Amino acid sequence: MAHPVRWIGWGFSCSLLVLLSACNSTTTTSGPAEINSRYNEEQPAISGNGRWLAMVSNRRGTSEIMLYDLQGRRFEGLSGFYAGDAIAQSPSLSLTGRYLVYLVTLDGRPAIALYDRITKRSDLLFSGYRRWIQQPQISPDGRYVVFQSARKGQWDIEVLDRGPNIELDIPDGTPIPNP
Amino acid sequence: MKRFIFALIVSSLLSSCTGYPRLLNLTGLNSSYLEASPQISSRFIVFTSDRNGSQDVYLFDTQARRFVNNPGLNSLDEIASHPSITEDGKYIVFAGSRQGSTNIYIYNRETQQKRNLTANIQAEVRNPSISADGSRVVFEVAKNGQWDLAVYDIAESRLTE
Repeated sequence: MAHPVRWIGWGFSCSLLVLLSACNSTTTTSGPAEINSRYNEEQPAISGNGRWLAMVSNRRGTSEIMLYDLQGRRFEGLSGFYAGDAIAQSPSLSLTGRYLVYLVTLDGRPAIALYDRITKRSDLLFSGYRRWIQQPQISPDGRYVVFQSARKGQWDIEVLDRGPNIELDIPDGTPIPNP
Repeated sequence: MKRFIFALIVSSLLSSCTGYPRLLNLTGLNSSYLEASPQISSRFIVFTSDRNGSQDVYLFDTQARRFVNNPGLNSLDEIASHPSITEDGKYIVFAGSRQGSTNIYIYNRETQQKRNLTANIQAEVRNPSISADGSRVVFEVAKNGQWDLAVYDIAESRLTE
C-alpha cells in the first residue's frame, strides 16, 4: 500500500493540472456576454444580415477587433486573425459576416487586411500604397472594398475590386447574372 | 530583335491582365474637394464631400456612373458624416450635426423623408452604420465616460445599449 502523503501529492498535482488547463481556454466565452464594458467600444460595423457586430474594444487591456453575435449574445473567437504591427482598426463586415475587412499598419504604413471566417485566416488585401488610407468598407457580397486615401492634400475615395474569382458572400440559391 | 518584340508583346499582354485585387477608375467620383468615409453596396457608393461648401452626403450610382439626387437628404446648416446605405438602396443612415448637437438620421429614398433616431438620447452619438438588409443600425454613444455601442432594431423601433 502506498503512503497517504504520496496520494495527497498526486491529487494535488492533478488538481493543479486541471486548474492550469482551464486557464488555457480560448477567448470564446460561454453564456451571454454584454456588448459593452467599462472600457471603450468603438467603430461598430454590422454584417449585412444584421447578425454580427464587429467593434474595436479596450476591454482586455489592448485595443483589438472583436466580433459579437447579436443572435447568440456572445463573442466569437477569431482564430488565425492577424492584427499587424500595431493596432488593427476600422472593421467592416460582408453579408453574413464571412469577410472582415480592417486596417493594419505594416512598417508604419497602413494596409488593408481581410479575415475570412470560413478559412480562418487573414490576408493582406492591399499594401505598399504610398498614400495614407483610412476607413475600408467591404460590399455586402464581398467583392469590392472602398476606402479613403490622401491625395493632393485632401481625401479621395478609391474602389478596390477583389475580382470575379472570389467566393461571394451571398445567400444560398441566389441566381448569378451572366457577366 | 523579333524575339525581343515578341517578349515585349507577351509581357504587355500579361501585365494588362495583372490580376486582382486592383483599383478601379471611376471617373467623376472624386472632385478637387474632400471625399470621405465611403461605403459600398452592390450598386451605390455613399460618402461625404464638401464640394458644395457644406459637408453633405453624396450617392454615386456605379452602374449609371453618375450621382443620384436625393431631395431632403442634406441641409445647408448640417454637417453630415459617416453615411451608409442598404443593399436595396432604400435607406441611408448618417450622423448629422446642427446647432451644437449630433443625431443619427435615417433617410428613406422612396418617401424622401428623414427621421431622427436619437432624439431621446441625451448623449453624444457618432459613427452610425445600417446593415445591408436594413434591419439594424449600430452607432457609438458617449456614456459613463467612455464610448459604448448601441443597436437600434428598425422593425421593432427598439434600442439596445
